[in-house]
Amino acid sequence: MDILVQTLADGLVIGAFYSLIALGYTMVFGIIKLLNFAHGDLYMLGAFVGYTLLSLLSGSGTGAGLMGIVVVLLLTMVIVGLIGMGIERVAYRPLLLAPRLSILITALGVSLFLENGSMIAWGAQYQVYPLQLSHDGWNVLGAQITYTQMGLVLISALLMLGLHQFISRTLYGKAMRAIAHDQTACHLMGIDVHKVIGLTFFIGASLAAGAGTMAGAYYGTVNFMMGFIIGLKAFTAAVLGGIGSIPGAMLGGLLLGMMETAGTFVFGGSWKDVVAFSLLILILVLRPTGIMGEKVTERM
Amino acid sequence: MSALLKLTDVHSFYGKIEALKGISLEVRQGEIVALLGSNGAGKSTTLKTISGLVRPGSGDIQLEGKSLVGWSPHRIVEEGIVHVPEGRRIFAGLTVHENLELGGFTQRKEKAVIAEGIELAYALFPRLKERSRQLGGTLSGGEQQMLAICRGLMARPKLLMLDEPSMGLAPIIVQEIMEIIRKINGQGTTILLIEQNAKAALRLAHRGYVLETGQIVMENTAEVLRGDESIVKAYLGA
Ligand SMILES: Nc1ncnc2c1ncn2[C@@H]1O[C@H](COP(=O)(O)OP(=O)(O)O)[C@@H](O)[C@H]1O
Ligand SMILES: [Mg+2]
Repeated sequence: MDILVQTLADGLVIGAFYSLIALGYTMVFGIIKLLNFAHGDLYMLGAFVGYTLLSLLSGSGTGAGLMGIVVVLLLTMVIVGLIGMGIERVAYRPLLLAPRLSILITALGVSLFLENGSMIAWGAQYQVYPLQLSHDGWNVLGAQITYTQMGLVLISALLMLGLHQFISRTLYGKAMRAIAHDQTACHLMGIDVHKVIGLTFFIGASLAAGAGTMAGAYYGTVNFMMGFIIGLKAFTAAVLGGIGSIPGAMLGGLLLGMMETAGTFVFGGSWKDVVAFSLLILILVLRPTGIMGEKVTERM
Repeated sequence: MSALLKLTDVHSFYGKIEALKGISLEVRQGEIVALLGSNGAGKSTTLKTISGLVRPGSGDIQLEGKSLVGWSPHRIVEEGIVHVPEGRRIFAGLTVHENLELGGFTQRKEKAVIAEGIELAYALFPRLKERSRQLGGTLSGGEQQMLAICRGLMARPKLLMLDEPSMGLAPIIVQEIMEIIRKINGQGTTILLIEQNAKAALRLAHRGYVLETGQIVMENTAEVLRGDESIVKAYLGA
């Protein structure tokens, strides 16, 4: 019992990170049908920007209180969100009408650029996050659940709730869903389609960056390649949930996190990635539309 | 009457194919103008060029004397021209209500205007009100066309352009749509109407243009066009 609860709790934290990253994957795919392979690197960038901001904060002697951490998180999300928007503007927008392969290859190029740029900026070694999170917690049915874990899951849940409200309530959120259906019709409604696509990149990048900062604090170290595997995992989560589906990405991330943690427990830690990617292959073979995905209809 | 919309020698291309070969036409304030012609004549391309989906290779397009050439489509909607496209293009996965809200995107700064527009739409088509929470894709063809027209009206256009609103609909629904178009025009909206069903269009319109392979081959009042033997033969028989 204690093991089951522990697995659930640990899996939920990792799953929340996967969900946050998968959301950007799925939103960008939904709106411009691009698998943005540079998306995992925005998570890495979020971890590093958070790292630098926290270093500045603790360097100034004030220390990073709870307020400080929240401000750093939000500031990181805005900065990386703007970078995500810039990437769309510079790298992807000129290719929106080009064959799909060109934009996919560009995404790989952007990924390499971000990874190597970060290596130059922050070094190739692992950096220790300038933040110590509490290891205290509650004993639930024999399992140890830390306040940190609860806090991270709570922040992730709030971010996803905010996104859900935005998508379902605001006119720009509705425009995002509409563009995923029919871009030409959106032009004819007077919607500035490029602006909405830019906004989608902003939101996707900032959610990934939020996950990056939280993961940096949770695991304690960051590295310029940390976005690579987790980007593929988030892609798996998005496919599991049904690529293009926002609730699907949230669900897919959580499920993947828990299955992976359970798999680690059963097979051992070295099998973690095998479990995740076997799952990806299974879904692609058995149910390519994922849990909540619809059949992708080609728009004209 | 002054010209609301004026096209002067407009040429449009799809790659190397010249779909419009020098179109000149005008739509005056308060009119219903019909654009007739057989399949592939360039009717839809004319509307796409006016709404900015297709950029003209040369020629001028003016709304109230201001040139719109080179503007992006959303700016043209803001300026007062709305294009309800062929095939309606309802957002199938969004509710009827959300479809209407998006039609009012250019009015987004004033929530009251959007709410009022939606009420007007529901008054015009009570059936849409009953289905306001349903997904657009679940509507019948006739209902989708009504939704498409109402969605277009949400932007409060000076000029409403309708591309084959009767396509694929039962005759009784076609009649209902035509009546609504007349009503919308009566309330002060100028209309440019494309129709395969020339007979129905000319009953409604004040004037008409006939297009053939990208050129205007005839223009006159609806009355004269209705009486023209060749037109009746070529386009009214259908
Ligand atoms: N997207 C397109 N690409 C290439 N040619 C097109 C395209 N759309 C229309 N055409 C061509 O342009 C001409 C005019 O088409 P269109 O304006 O749709 O005619 P209509 O609406 O009168 O039936 C036709 O010859 C058609 O084949
Ligand atoms: Mg047509």
